[in-house]
Amino acid sequence: MSFDWVTFGFQLVNVLVLLAILQHFLFRPVAEIIAKRQAETQEALRRAEAAEQDAEAAERAAEEARHQTEAARHDVLTAAQDEAEAQRKAILDAARAEAASLVQKATAQAQATVTGAAAETLTRARDLAEVIARRALSAQPDGAGYAARLAQALAALPDDQRAAILSGANLRLAAPAPLSAADRAAALATLGLESAGFEQDQSLIAGLELRSDTGLVHNSLAHDLDRIARALTAEAAA
Amino acid sequence: MIQSPLSGDILFSIGPLGIDKAVVTTWVLIGALGFGSWTVTRRLTLRPGKVQAVVELVVTTLDAQIRATIAGEPARFRPLIGTLLLYILTANWSSLIPGVEPPTARLETDAALALIVFVATIGYGIRAQGLGGYLASFARPSWVMIPLNLVEQVTRNFSLMVRLFGNVMSGVFVIGIVLTLAGLLVPIPLMALDLLTGAVQAYIFAILALVFIGSAVEGEGDKNPPRKQEKDA
Repeated sequence: MSFDWVTFGFQLVNVLVLLAILQHFLFRPVAEIIAKRQAETQEALRRAEAAEQDAEAAERAAEEARHQTEAARHDVLTAAQDEAEAQRKAILDAARAEAASLVQKATAQAQATVTGAAAETLTRARDLAEVIARRALSAQPDGAGYAARLAQALAALPDDQRAAILSGANLRLAAPAPLSAADRAAALATLGLESAGFEQDQSLIAGLELRSDTGLVHNSLAHDLDRIARALTAEAAA
Repeated sequence: MIQSPLSGDILFSIGPLGIDKAVVTTWVLIGALGFGSWTVTRRLTLRPGKVQAVVELVVTTLDAQIRATIAGEPARFRPLIGTLLLYILTANWSSLIPGVEPPTARLETDAALALIVFVATIGYGIRAQGLGGYLASFARPSWVMIPLNLVEQVTRNFSLMVRLFGNVMSGVFVIGIVLTLAGLLVPIPLMALDLLTGAVQAYIFAILALVFIGSAVEGEGDKNPPRKQEKDA
């Protein structure tokens, strides 16, 4: 066995050359690509963490915005409710004022209507009184004429009624004022009566009536007025 | 009659220097490994293909092995340990090619590898601990141990050399004998066993070199805070 120093030297150099070649063409490039991938992975993780932080920040911002929106919504609702309440109050006040004005106007109008109606009633009453008076007065004779009109009325009665009145007890003449003897005699003569009593009745206003216990013959202004008033009332009712 | 594995086989000469067959085989291996490395790494991408993934797996496993033995960044030791592993592995497996004798079956090759480990151990030790610190490491645990430690520096590298030489050479020798005595196909099981033996020997050589270097730089750990080492790891 021999040791070849030349071969030993060559192999020594060969291994060192191989070391350099592998370092240059194998270990360094592979280690670099591994390190680069690890760096990119770390960078990706860092970006992912940054993105996660951004997402969390965005989520917090969105939550904050949601709270702000909620607060703004609450404020808007509160303001709207206040405004609606104010408008409701204003509308109610206006409605109350308008109602009060309408009531006042209606009251005034009713008052005016009542006043007008009273005036109209008064006017109608005056007119009615005037008509009644005119009609009554137009049918009234002069002082001696009442006896003649009483005679006509007596004559116009049916015979049995006339006989009942004339045969009745306490036959008398009624006048609003005392009659003189001449007027009383003239009245009896006009009526064709021999005698009759006399009584004063101021409610007759004017006229001369024949009365007995069994009946009477109206012939007075008061009776005419009453008759005319009842006729006018019935006419107005119709 | 086969040729003795203990004798050289000069193929040609460059001037006065005879070029042994093992040297030529090593040149071929250098060319193949260099070309293969260049082919694989010329188009490295961040999304690796199958071949790149395998290469990255090898480098990553190598780094993990270095990191498990020596604290700190594995990049300092990766070229040497990786080169030793790949060269010895390919050299051992080159015996599968008919007519090729593995360079590691030659004592000169193993001696060169052991010398490189010896020098690297001293270099890494001085670099890590300083000359004084490295020399002081021989006095651990006691100055009485200085002679033994000095002898150990030589003997352990010598054993490294002899172990590799003995295992590979014996395999080649046995296959040669069996091939001579039995025939063409009979040595195939032994060649398959040589595959395993070659891989194991490459691993043992690289790991022992790593352990030697680790023992030389072990004082370095006292300088670096543990947290820094963990971060680098």
